Amino acid sequence: MAGSIAAQPPVTTRTGGRARRWLPWLLLRAGGVLFVLWAVATITFFAIRLIPGDPAEAVLGGPGSQASEEALAQARREYGLDRPLILQYLGYLGRLLTGDLGHSYSLRAPVAEVIGENLGGTLLLALLSLLVAAAIALGLAAWSVRGGRGASGVSSVLEIVGAAVPHFWLAISLILLFSTWLGWLPPVSVPGPAGLVLPVLTLAIPLAGFLGQVMRESILDAMASPFVLAARARGEGEGGVFWRHAARHAALPAIGLAGWAFGALISGAVVVESIFARPGLGRSLLAAVQLRDVPLVIGIVLVVALGYMLVTTLTDLADRLADPRLRRAGR
Amino acid sequence: MNRLALPLLSAAAVALLLAGCSAAAPTNSEPVSGGTLVYASGDGEPTCLDPHVGGNYPQALVATQYLESLVSKNKDGEIIPWLATSWKEADDGLSWEFTLRDDVTFTDGTPLTWEAVAANIAHLQNPATASSTGYLALQKVTGVEKVDEHSAKVLLSAPDSALLDSLSQPWLAIESPTALKRSQEVNCESPVGTGPFEVTAWDRQQSITLERNKDYDSPPADAGHKGPAYLKKIVWRFLPDSASRYAALRAGTVDVIDNVQPDTIVAAKKDDTIDHLDAPRPGASNRIELNSGKAPFDDERVREAFIRSADVDDAVKSLFFGTAKRSYSALSSVDKLGYSDKSLFGYDQKAAATLLDEAGWTEKDAEGYRVKDGTRLELDFPVSTNQSIPAEQSLFEQIQATAKQAGFKVDLHPLDLSSWYGALAKNDYNLVSAPYTKVGPDVLRILYHSDGTIPAPSGYFANLAQLKDPKLDALLVQASETSDQDERAALYKQAQQIVLEGYYILPLYDQQNHFLYRADVKGIRALPTVSTPTFYDAWLDR
Amino acid sequence: MRRPRPLELIAAAVLLFLVLAALFPSLLAPGDPLAIHPAESFLAPSWAHPFGTDESGRGIYTRIVHGAGPSLVIGLSATAIGIGLALVLGLAAGLGPRWLDFGTTRFVEVLFAFPGLLLALLFIVIYGPGVVTSTIAVGLSTAPGYARIIRSQVLLVRRAPYLEAARVLGRGPAVRVFRTLLPNLAGSLFVLVTLGIGQSIVWASSLSYLGLGAVPPAAEWGAMLSAGRTYVASFWWMSFFPGLFIVLSAVSTTLIGRSLQNRVRSA
Repeated sequence: MAGSIAAQPPVTTRTGGRARRWLPWLLLRAGGVLFVLWAVATITFFAIRLIPGDPAEAVLGGPGSQASEEALAQARREYGLDRPLILQYLGYLGRLLTGDLGHSYSLRAPVAEVIGENLGGTLLLALLSLLVAAAIALGLAAWSVRGGRGASGVSSVLEIVGAAVPHFWLAISLILLFSTWLGWLPPVSVPGPAGLVLPVLTLAIPLAGFLGQVMRESILDAMASPFVLAARARGEGEGGVFWRHAARHAALPAIGLAGWAFGALISGAVVVESIFARPGLGRSLLAAVQLRDVPLVIGIVLVVALGYMLVTTLTDLADRLADPRLRRAGR
Repeated sequence: MNRLALPLLSAAAVALLLAGCSAAAPTNSEPVSGGTLVYASGDGEPTCLDPHVGGNYPQALVATQYLESLVSKNKDGEIIPWLATSWKEADDGLSWEFTLRDDVTFTDGTPLTWEAVAANIAHLQNPATASSTGYLALQKVTGVEKVDEHSAKVLLSAPDSALLDSLSQPWLAIESPTALKRSQEVNCESPVGTGPFEVTAWDRQQSITLERNKDYDSPPADAGHKGPAYLKKIVWRFLPDSASRYAALRAGTVDVIDNVQPDTIVAAKKDDTIDHLDAPRPGASNRIELNSGKAPFDDERVREAFIRSADVDDAVKSLFFGTAKRSYSALSSVDKLGYSDKSLFGYDQKAAATLLDEAGWTEKDAEGYRVKDGTRLELDFPVSTNQSIPAEQSLFEQIQATAKQAGFKVDLHPLDLSSWYGALAKNDYNLVSAPYTKVGPDVLRILYHSDGTIPAPSGYFANLAQLKDPKLDALLVQASETSDQDERAALYKQAQQIVLEGYYILPLYDQQNHFLYRADVKGIRALPTVSTPTFYDAWLDR
Repeated sequence: MRRPRPLELIAAAVLLFLVLAALFPSLLAPGDPLAIHPAESFLAPSWAHPFGTDESGRGIYTRIVHGAGPSLVIGLSATAIGIGLALVLGLAAGLGPRWLDFGTTRFVEVLFAFPGLLLALLFIVIYGPGVVTSTIAVGLSTAPGYARIIRSQVLLVRRAPYLEAARVLGRGPAVRVFRTLLPNLAGSLFVLVTLGIGQSIVWASSLSYLGLGAVPPAAEWGAMLSAGRTYVASFWWMSFFPGLFIVLSAVSTTLIGRSLQNRVRSA
């Protein structure tokens, strides 16, 4: 969508900086991260309070718990729910600053512990899916380049279809195909690599569709560009040309998508973890929202936001490192 | 290929086939000790493994394996000994004396004495425990006294004919008094009981691990054997998606599943490797309650018209594939004192039309819905997606369609659990289906006594039909206090007649409770108390 | 104009069918999508019912056709909300003073930091499930992505020579924006819209699958998928065909969007 890189005018950035001035940029970034985290925590805190229902009940195991008045009053005192909302908020912020994420109502354990237990599962799933998606996308791109117009057309359609498939439909179809009819893989998560295959595929295929579509432009452009021509003239084989020159340039817009991909993977993880019964942040988040477990929801949201900010900061860094001359307009 | 190859190959193939056949699954007729059973539940993971806290069915399912109650029930509905060997009600009905087994210790070494009974009852009645089911069941209990080391006297404020039924439930199971002294957080993670298994690990959102209690020897009187359980370990998992749960069972990844959908029951019948356990829950039947506390259902004619306009039989047949039997009773078929009257619930659109005309709903608007004094005959029906399985939600859709023919506009609102409770607490409903599991006909008092309309601090109330009939109240109170079994039966029959003939409820079917398990798992049975499966007699024929 | 490729023709045909289904469902499927026939429930695809019947005996083909309207409207509305919001944010960031750009970019970042599904979940849990709330929720969660793209487009255009020329010629800022900026944006916006409709339909159906979208007995595709999900092992057609149409809608709108993009480029 941004067109070929060569055509872009070299424009100075809004911050007016040049490659050498790391420190102000870093400080600004760090400030931005903190701001986003604060905003996320605040929005989530007040949003959950908007949900109808008595928060004290949520502490005692949800509505319909038929908790006695004394138990509710005790819960309110313990969790400070009888204080004015603004004081509760400030108290919560204060605890966050010291790193105390609070206590989960529904799981009766410190939020940090719950997140720690579930983080690994989701991260593993997300990272593997990202790798597999990248592999599929690159593979399709390579095939397009080799196979000419026909292969290009087919892989383009495959990518579009892949991106259009809803996660749960894909999950169910994969389970039907590989587990029920072929019996090759287990239908739900089991310890060990076999239980990862279907969940990873379910997340990877739509992502590969998006990545592929984004990279396709850049790769095709790059393959037709002057420096590739020069490389071919120097005698480099098609494979070398593809991997050494074109793919590198395709990586740039794909890396730019990393932040978005992270968010999409987390969203997808909610559905995938539910269907395949994999422990993880996605499933915990869904349950926590339904049970109005405020501390856990905010904790998970914060961790996800932090992760997202990390990813975008890293990709920005990678952008700048890769080519300091490259300033896409408006950065 | 030379000429010998083909016959050689064929011989080899036949030999292999035969070897395969003879290496078929071992069939033992004697229970084999050892092995791990994997149970996959479709319910949500409990937040606390101690069923004293809260008290819902998922807790009952898992607690059945490691906790035991004072008494149990057999298939004929009789109370039988378990941790208590005998019991006697005082003449004035204001106390019960329970004699306990003297050879039982909890898995933490504490012996079972009268103090354990006292500690457990105190724990259930303590507001800090936040027990709902157990707390309600013990409302008449004022204290526990020592008779001797292994006998306890339970004191009551009024005679309670439902006490034994209540005590047979897993939500009032007996835990170690030493363990109960720990913080609730710790006790929730590893409650200590006397059961055939004990909780050894809880990987939240992954699985609960139960291991054999080596010193176990206190099964209920109707159990299949004595001494420790056969299984060495049980892994309790939570798989919320029903399709993947069934797929996991077929693949052998899990051994037992619950919350089985009707179509999978039928599919499993054709599969030799899977067996079926049908264990309807006790308590109320699955029914639709009509809110008689506000218009339009404050008019009995409108209630009857709605019930007559609902074609439930066809819906149950087509949606449940014959796995659910139509019920015409307020109580589960498991309860011996249930009263049923089919004649009240026949599908009759003409009768519905006549009744609505009589009640004044004579005009119709452009879409065919009845109108009276400018108000449309509209009914709000909040549906809990947690508690109503998809087949049941489709059943409601079909009732919505047939009710439309009579001129009722039924608005279905699928809601998650919290929002559903919220709608009920706000009296934002005309129709609702709320299951209630309890042992014994005393559940009628909870559901239909006018006290049940008084909300708890959370806003929750159990009498969703908002039935306030003094005659019914008197019958229910009298029945809860009398110890004469014949009188009790007669009183409950009259009570149920009032409920059914007042058209306050539309009974659908028993609370469905189906389990599917691999055919090589033997010895599974459902405890006749709350119909939870017990794996004490279970063994793996592998 | 290039000759349309066969794939584009197919995509256009599919879209035409969907639009027809949305506007005149009875033309393509004369039956009643809401009438129940318990005796005909769970029938496999046949001549009488090309896509089979569901749990209440309703023809799935009929329900898909009648569900096209609501499903497409959800996709369109959600995209409209998303792009509308994104336009406001993107224009403000791209055209306004530095502090406005800073502020809106941070705001967009915050929105982005919420995983899309969570935003939708929170919104729906607060305001209750239903078609309206799930549409708004989907629109909200797609807005930040579009906002980013619009902002970078605006900035790109802002530096462009013709805008400079307009300034030199003395045209006021508002005129500059509307005469030069928007027509340039319109091209990419249109492409975004066509790509977005498909995505919104998929998102909305995910919400319905989780039980947070349309209410029964509405013949909305996501709701049909949700209803069919429990029966997927025994009666695969209940989930397969609604899912297929969701994919077809998304794919055909994307293909049309792509071909438009290519035409705009080569023009």
